[in-house]
Amino acid sequence: MEKFDVPVSARVQQLQQKRARINKDLRLNIERNRILTEYFRTHENEYPILKKAGFLYEWAATREINIDDDDIFLGDAGPHTRSVHFDIEQTSTNWLRRCFGDTDERFRAAWQVPGSIWVDDEDRKYLVEVADFWDTRSIAATGLGLVPPEFFDRFPKGFDFRELTGSYPGHFLPNYEKAVCVGFGAVRREAEAKLEEIRKKTTTDNVRSDLFYRAVIKTCDAIILMSKRYAAGCREKAETAAGDRKAELLRMADSCEWIMENPARNLWEGIQAVLFYQNLITADGTHWADSPGLIDSFLGVLLENDVKTGALSHEQAQELCDAFLMQIGNQIIMFPKPNNDMLIEAHKQGKIFFDLQGGMQNIAAGMLITLGGMKRDGSGDYNLATEMLLLSYYRLRVAEPSLALRINKDTPDRIWEIAIACSKRAGGLPQFNNDEVIIKQMIDKGIALEDARRYAVFGCVEPGVSGMEWSMAANCGAFGGGMNSLVNLLNFCIHGNVNPMTGETGQLPCKKLYEYESFEEFQAEYERQIKASIDLGARMIHFATLIFDHAWPCISASVMLDGCMESGKDVTWGGAKYNGHGQMINAVATVADSMMTIKKLCFDDKTVSTRELYDALSTNWEGHEQLRQRILNEVPFYGNDNDESDALAAWAYGLTAEYMNSRPGPYNGCLNTGALDLYWVAGGKRTWATPDGRKTGDALSPSSDPRQDAVKNGPLSYVKSVSKLPWDKLRCGGAINLRFDANSVRGDESAAKVRDLISSYFAMGGVQFHFTVADTEIMRAAQKNPQDYQDLIVRIAGFSAYFTHLPFDDQENYIARYEIQV
Amino acid sequence: MHNNEKGQIYDIQGYAVHDGPGIRTTIFTKGCPLRCLWCHSPESQHHKNELGYLPIKCLGLATCQNACIEACPRGAISAREPVQALDGSGMVEKAEIDRDICDACLQCSEVCITKALYSSGRETTVDEVYARVDKDRDFFQNGGGITISGGEPMAQFDFTYNLAIRLKEGGLHICLDTTGQAQEEQYRKIMPFIDLFLYDIKHMDSEMHKKLTGLGNELILSNARFLAESGAALQIRVPIIPKLTDSESNLQKTSEFCVSLGSAVKLVQLLPYHKAGRMKYDRLGWKYKLTNVEPPDDAFMAKTLELFQRHGLNAQLY
Repeated sequence: MEKFDVPVSARVQQLQQKRARINKDLRLNIERNRILTEYFRTHENEYPILKKAGFLYEWAATREINIDDDDIFLGDAGPHTRSVHFDIEQTSTNWLRRCFGDTDERFRAAWQVPGSIWVDDEDRKYLVEVADFWDTRSIAATGLGLVPPEFFDRFPKGFDFRELTGSYPGHFLPNYEKAVCVGFGAVRREAEAKLEEIRKKTTTDNVRSDLFYRAVIKTCDAIILMSKRYAAGCREKAETAAGDRKAELLRMADSCEWIMENPARNLWEGIQAVLFYQNLITADGTHWADSPGLIDSFLGVLLENDVKTGALSHEQAQELCDAFLMQIGNQIIMFPKPNNDMLIEAHKQGKIFFDLQGGMQNIAAGMLITLGGMKRDGSGDYNLATEMLLLSYYRLRVAEPSLALRINKDTPDRIWEIAIACSKRAGGLPQFNNDEVIIKQMIDKGIALEDARRYAVFGCVEPGVSGMEWSMAANCGAFGGGMNSLVNLLNFCIHGNVNPMTGETGQLPCKKLYEYESFEEFQAEYERQIKASIDLGARMIHFATLIFDHAWPCISASVMLDGCMESGKDVTWGGAKYNGHGQMINAVATVADSMMTIKKLCFDDKTVSTRELYDALSTNWEGHEQLRQRILNEVPFYGNDNDESDALAAWAYGLTAEYMNSRPGPYNGCLNTGALDLYWVAGGKRTWATPDGRKTGDALSPSSDPRQDAVKNGPLSYVKSVSKLPWDKLRCGGAINLRFDANSVRGDESAAKVRDLISSYFAMGGVQFHFTVADTEIMRAAQKNPQDYQDLIVRIAGFSAYFTHLPFDDQENYIARYEIQV
Repeated sequence: MHNNEKGQIYDIQGYAVHDGPGIRTTIFTKGCPLRCLWCHSPESQHHKNELGYLPIKCLGLATCQNACIEACPRGAISAREPVQALDGSGMVEKAEIDRDICDACLQCSEVCITKALYSSGRETTVDEVYARVDKDRDFFQNGGGITISGGEPMAQFDFTYNLAIRLKEGGLHICLDTTGQAQEEQYRKIMPFIDLFLYDIKHMDSEMHKKLTGLGNELILSNARFLAESGAALQIRVPIIPKLTDSESNLQKTSEFCVSLGSAVKLVQLLPYHKAGRMKYDRLGWKYKLTNVEPPDDAFMAKTLELFQRHGLNAQLY
């Protein structure tokens, strides 16, 4: 009955098997880190942007070119398919020493047992050896040299600033369209012309642009050289290959000789150019979750032309789309870095590195692909590539890269149908995005209408303008300032500016819960605390931005991103056409329900004194179970279409968003916020009891969704409550995330009804919608026999994950999530 | 019209996607003249509220200091054997109800802090129901609306009739989910306010019908004919219960009957038996009767669908 079950070709099946095989045998790749370190050692005094471009050239010229016999596309981040990598300059040198300088026995138990990310003895030695060099030259070291001391005081006691690594801003939408359709040859020529101009009249204002354009030329040369090296590699391989493969390798060689320098001429070249450019950006620095936006828009032109001219059959085109998805998903980044104790313990339990990531990382690179949308003139932008890439997700059942689909009045019925079928089967991929609201948000950010229509989603849920905006990460740059935890700020207001979990004080001295005389007074204090926290965070962001401006440019992005060539500035100098910075806020329901409890019980009904509630909270409900049960069962919580509690949620998030949006952002761009959390289970463990009946250590509510056990009026009320959040102001997005049982989506009409539900939510102003179909029974079975459920994907927050890779706590939390049963 | 007309309901559910076209919100009324063996909503059968009990929610009598035991005038509640608490905090004694003594006065449910003890239904009014379902209106754009279901909503005719008028006044699409077991006169009266009848045909043989549901099918079949002839729109629903309703001759006759109703039948839905309602019996302390019946397999359902379609009916599996 599944009408979208187009067969997966034997070659792509081979790639799938290869992936499964490598996932059990992952290796650390430090090729890039070696080349970088050696280049930096020998070019210490080169200006940062020239140093970065010089390194990229060195990397392109000397990296190992690997071409596997089953490769349909070429190029990986390292010499081996699916090797894991990290950037040494954004890594804590203490971590390097602790992990790789550990005793031989412990090192082997952590990094050289089956299931570990294998590290060679030689690489181990190298990583320890270079830690000293990077001590004073890492991104964190740059940060230490310029961040004001008051920010250090904000870190928890005993916290080492270097642990935070000062990671690259990440989270942006590179201009793949230009890399594919214009090419680096044209950009190089433009840079030469610009240099010519500057040399005619060099001034204080344009002297740095001289460096920039020289870096652009070097970077263009680097990527063109790399492509030609692959061409040579293909030819060499072809010498010993036979028949079809020989012909294919020679075709690939011709294409590699052409692309990167010149515009792609067919689908294979277009996809290959995306992949090579992606390799370049990753080599420059892992901008966690940089995302290929709107690729169907320009690949579709090539694809449709190939099909029309007969260069590709429908099946061949589908195979290329499948192979693309497998290849781009081969990027793997080690993001949070567990220590040896954790790894050794995990290996003992038969778990792997990626099981330790708190449910936040798949074996992947955090990328997100956006499909569909609008052309600059506002008409729908859907084509055969949109359909085929959706079908790739539907049939291959991969969790990464994540997938977003733009929805507007021109979205074809067939795209809706495939997307819903895909989401049912592939665990919440795609997420659905509401063009109408998101384009308005973009315009509010100061983006021109035609550009706003070309938004795509990056990271988890954050919209930005594809190829034009230096958007920067949702949380990077804030250095864990805590401004995104409205729950902790609420606790400050309750406990007199003390966090009961740590005993530490916040920014502003205030009353304790039993000292407030009205709810309005409490609310006003909360507002004061929120604003002070945002002020601090917004200030911090500018210093974070300065770190990269000072020494860590991103020439691989600047070479293509709109605005940089025109302005002669790197993205980290404010060169992009648009700039922004995002900060997420979390736990909507925990905050709203807590406020509602205080308001209703202590001030409106006056059935519980503020003193009693304060005492109950101070003791983590010890001896106050009756009160806790009353709260859980009597207070109308967010998620039930209760206007009063929903209004409190909207108040807190509207206030935060508006104030955040009003602060000056980096490079005169804006600050943005959204409602997203990846850590509500882990974050809950660090958060004291809250008035909504939550005990110390219990999970917080997930992102903008209601608290799992609080949904009493069914899914429509749930959806409506969430729709009342001020989504128009939450420009970093945030999704409703529903879980259906299989029974609720069975039958021929169910897809149409899911579509109705999404459309209704969008008509109410919602921005993003995810859903997963996962029966509790199936997830219980998967916990017992994980080997039988390797492809069970569930939607976590802004991304989907394989259920069996989630830590136990996160699995339980997911199972407890409200399930729609009808 | 009486907006303060009282009725007895047991639930209002949004996104009731199996109860008619589009997205619907369904009102479940309490009380039904039939006693179908496979009934998946035991709380729908009686008009009077029962005492429901979800032991998993009970945190132990020590937490509430025996609130339910103290509240019970008949001494029907006592402490169970201690069990391990869910959060691992130690052993707890949960409440135990002696269903032979309990007369469902529900006084215990009023003092139960965790709502482990609860009333299986509640009294409401037309106005109250309208205010609740009206909030879901924004979801009904694409042909959706309200379904009045049960139980048997016609068993509380005054409430259902006034509710239907109120909903129609509000411009909402209304389905009435009925067993057909009510007076023809009442159907005549309510018909103008109902956009679509969801109408169950459980068995064509009256004797069997009586065995399976407690009553013969004469009134049900004649009401179906009456509605069809009077211009009502019908969506016929046929439960496929292995060994009980799934004989070829019965399905054959059912499809012929549907054909005989002519163009009034917009759709025939075949509902395979499922076991989802079983745990609801435990909550009421009742016994589930169909312990040896399994859901029909896909092949049988496909064959049955084909049989209905062969008769030229617009049929679908659900």
